[in-house]
Amino acid sequence: MHLLEIRNLHAGIGEKEILKGIDLTIAPGEIHAVMGPNGAGKSTLSAVLAGKPQFEVTEGSVLFDGKDLLAMAPEERSWAGIFLSFQYPVEIPGVTITSFLKTAVNARRKAAGLEPLSAGDFLKLQKEKMAFVKMRPEFAKREVNVGFSGGEKKRNEIFQMAMLEPKLSILDETDSGLDVDALRIVADGVNALHTPENAAIVITHYRKLLDYVRPTHVHVLKAGKIVADGGPELADEIEAKGFDQF
Amino acid sequence: MYTVKANETLDLLLTAFPGESKDETIDIDIVGEGARVNLSGLYICPSDEQVRYTVRLHHRVPGCVSYQLFKGIVAGTAKVRFDGRIVVAPDAQKTEAYQENHNLLLSETAVVDTLPQLEIYADDVKCSHGATVGRLNEDEQFYMRSRGIPEAEARILQMLSFLSPVIDKVADPQEKEALRARVESAVRGL
Repeated sequence: MHLLEIRNLHAGIGEKEILKGIDLTIAPGEIHAVMGPNGAGKSTLSAVLAGKPQFEVTEGSVLFDGKDLLAMAPEERSWAGIFLSFQYPVEIPGVTITSFLKTAVNARRKAAGLEPLSAGDFLKLQKEKMAFVKMRPEFAKREVNVGFSGGEKKRNEIFQMAMLEPKLSILDETDSGLDVDALRIVADGVNALHTPENAAIVITHYRKLLDYVRPTHVHVLKAGKIVADGGPELADEIEAKGFDQF
Repeated sequence: MYTVKANETLDLLLTAFPGESKDETIDIDIVGEGARVNLSGLYICPSDEQVRYTVRLHHRVPGCVSYQLFKGIVAGTAKVRFDGRIVVAPDAQKTEAYQENHNLLLSETAVVDTLPQLEIYADDVKCSHGATVGRLNEDEQFYMRSRGIPEAEARILQMLSFLSPVIDKVADPQEKEALRARVESAVRGL
């Protein structure tokens, strides 16, 4: 069975149509790279899949695990197993990473009919996952993304991904603004979290990240449509010839 | 009327919780060098409360510092008025005076009037003031919901996040936690 099935998806903001008929099918175990120039609709695609309220879907359907994804609220999508790593993670002053994630983890357990984690069990899990993404333990007490460097924000996204164990991770330009070391840490986290049961969509402008996270499929998004599909070799072709060839 | 003398510190926190209407005038005279004033306000007005703060803060002598931070959540048909004036006298050189008033407006029928004013008669000072009236930030809300935090809980976290800088002004750890608990229960009751 497919994990994600996008059929003829049209979406935009207000009167402006940005996605003009996207078809994309993803099975468990796959990593799909979506590449494209600025303004192609890459971030809109990720926002629409995660349910950002400002975007309106005007046509088409999205099935996730056989269920109508577009009918779900953003939090329900998260409970179902969607995770969006933000291009620009949001700062939340006054809310520590611990209290933020404890609220998130327990809301999800509640939706699944499970008891909340005890404080001790939660802290143990958090410590384990922080070590996994090589995040220093003192970050747990920091306010969410406040005063974080670009690399720290992205690492915090991957840490949250590790905590929430999604079935489908969508990485929206997770590589933007990262130096090579930070890029490698992010890529290591993504690779380590990848299993035959889950899948990822890696949205990127550049091929660099794909040197570290090898995709099984590559798609080129241009002016709201997928204009080319292929394997990893397509990313190499784009690197050599740019997006103008499509 | 509060008179603050040389090297003294005045810490003052004003609060208005749900169901409380207040009309308070705070006159502060800074008359001795090296004095400090921390004046904070926190209000949560979800129904038909009327809260009015009038602040008159005079820097009369050089080398003093004052901070004002008023933050509140206003909904229902509540009315809030913040009228704050800082006066820096001609002799009060090297004054530092900061005043901020930020409001979350959660209904169409609630009213916030904010009137920050600075009167500066000295030329070597650092002063600023700012006031905002806004709504809950949609990007923050989406970020939290995308992590599985339900919409209602996301709103509560946002409101606590908004008010936490005022809570953090309380120096005593026990008092701070008591205030945090009271604010949290008030916000959860909205």
